[in-house]
Amino acid sequence: MRHQKLTGLALAGSAVLASSTAVAADKAEVDKAFETLKTYDWGADRKLMAPIDQAVVDTQDDAAGRKDLETRLLAVLAGGPSRSAKDYICRTLKTMGTAASVPAMAAMLADKDVSHMGRYALERIPAPQAAAALRDAVAKLSGALKVGVIGSLGVRGDTASVGALSGLLGDGDKSVASAAAHALGVIGDPQAGKALAGFAKKAPEGVKPAVADACLICAEQLLADGKKAEAIALYKALGGEDQPKHVRVAATRGLLAAAGKKD
Amino acid sequence: MSRRNSTPSKSLGLMTNRRAFLKTAAGAMAAPYVIPSSALGADDSTAPSERIVMGGIGIGNMGRGDLGAFLGRKDVQYVAVCDVKKGVREGAKGRADQHYSNSDCKAYNDFRDLLARDDIDAVHIATPDHWHVQIIIAACASGKDAFCQKPETRTLRENRLVVEAGRRYSRVVSGGSQRVLQDYRGVVNKCWGGEIGKVKSINVNVNPLSVPCNLAGQPIPDGFDWDMWLGPAPWAPYHPYRCSGSFNINGTSWRSFSDYSGGGMTDWGAHHFGGATFAIDVRELEPEEVIYNDEGGRKFLTFRYPNGKLLYHNRPNTGNMQVEGTPDEKVPAKTVPSYKGQGGICGDFIECVKTREKPFRDIAFAAHTMTVCHLGLIAYEVQRSLKWDTAGQEFPGDEEANRFLDRARREPWVL
Repeated sequence: MRHQKLTGLALAGSAVLASSTAVAADKAEVDKAFETLKTYDWGADRKLMAPIDQAVVDTQDDAAGRKDLETRLLAVLAGGPSRSAKDYICRTLKTMGTAASVPAMAAMLADKDVSHMGRYALERIPAPQAAAALRDAVAKLSGALKVGVIGSLGVRGDTASVGALSGLLGDGDKSVASAAAHALGVIGDPQAGKALAGFAKKAPEGVKPAVADACLICAEQLLADGKKAEAIALYKALGGEDQPKHVRVAATRGLLAAAGKKD
Repeated sequence: MSRRNSTPSKSLGLMTNRRAFLKTAAGAMAAPYVIPSSALGADDSTAPSERIVMGGIGIGNMGRGDLGAFLGRKDVQYVAVCDVKKGVREGAKGRADQHYSNSDCKAYNDFRDLLARDDIDAVHIATPDHWHVQIIIAACASGKDAFCQKPETRTLRENRLVVEAGRRYSRVVSGGSQRVLQDYRGVVNKCWGGEIGKVKSINVNVNPLSVPCNLAGQPIPDGFDWDMWLGPAPWAPYHPYRCSGSFNINGTSWRSFSDYSGGGMTDWGAHHFGGATFAIDVRELEPEEVIYNDEGGRKFLTFRYPNGKLLYHNRPNTGNMQVEGTPDEKVPAKTVPSYKGQGGICGDFIECVKTREKPFRDIAFAAHTMTVCHLGLIAYEVQRSLKWDTAGQEFPGDEEANRFLDRARREPWVL
């Protein structure tokens, strides 16, 4: 028996599921999948989630439908499902989550088992609340979880975190300091460049390669943005004999490129 | 969000400027800038001190074949192997040691330890796909050239990052599809020879797409660093099918699962799309649109290039590598690019390590092929057509599609 379609969008064929057989999500099947999700665990047939997957596709132009799906996913998450179910929910929210999902994702950041999946959603949710949640977490976390959050801020290009990240360049945990340098390089604004240039000469041995790489990445961005003086400062910071040859060569290349650029 | 963001609000003009910078910088130092002490000869009498010093990362399956190709060269000194499976790396070390009649080859579990050696000039990489770009970029940043098995990338953002890293450090970075040049010579010669006139389109048939994996856990075998195998991918319990290097894409290999592979779309797609884009001479371009077609329930894709050429995926009633042209309108023949040096694609890489030329499968060409694969995967995922901004490297004004540009890496891995 056929049930009411979730939406009028009847785009057929989920690429990730069964492209030849998928049809618009059936409401009863979606309801059943959400019920299954409450006890879903490793080893369960992944196709049990197919109705929800298709509903996500079907609601691309249906804000109310999307809100309903998000609310239901968060409700299952609040019930404390298995790690596999949390994994599925975060993956789905990565695709369609909004600011409404941010508190639940942020609450996962300090849990070593699911921190990554919280970031999996937060890194891709465009809402500014997602970036704010990542910034808040940086100060509270340590070790690998902190590294992960720093990396996500870099990928988001979060200029609002440059101050905090600059302060982490001297962190006693070299993995944190290296991640902060990389994120600053990826963000690539003048403030990030200034922090990296100022730190390059005093970076300790274990952090120096990451800082050098970040300086080069940042300088490329600054030069592309017309910030010639800032880029040159970064390249010059890598010119000493304390840097390996390939880094000095890369910096020299950058200087040559900068020299050819008009102010 | 800032302009550097890979999410929707990134400045469209940014990548144009960035690419222009990299091009300018490369031009500024087009001549060989550094010749490794080991890169001075290629004949049978090459002294050990003048050979390309190499190591291999990921040396099961495809890596085993690549190891053999490089180990057999007189101009290569193979000194290190890395694999997260103890038995695999010890076997590879034994093979290298037997070849040289010594015990000098070092075996590593963590690729960072291998890359930290300053005596290694180049590496070959044949890990599962989700690791490729992380390791290529680390190799470039440590001053090493890299040969990486296809499919070279797993996300669209990775395409941009890996090309930039190679150019930043003036590295020779070669993709690993030997089939692009070797398997489709008939089609390539027809197209480049002018026999079929102006090329209008080509079709590629590859299947299936990868799927999510929810396999239950099993005990991790002794000597297998499971956490390192997963690396930047989401944590998941060990299951032999999840990490099997089998070439079957039927749920019994990592090539089946979307955390690690795009399935046939990337695994065979790197070959077929690579060959197709080479044949119709668009390997230096990226499509600016992918059209999601549904003809009576039969789904297929049309990629449209800026020069008007079309590339189909699974077009109904159309053979693999089938080309449409204007046979009545002959065009002048063009010289077909080929490998440099001797020894196929591996020899091409080694020759370019010596000369600092771009290899046949330069990473930029490989990335353009992977763009086709990834755009296709995303179009099937969202089940609709997509516009692609080739300069900005994003889906203009398409917030939903832009969420698929990349995915968060598991700590401590960052890109």
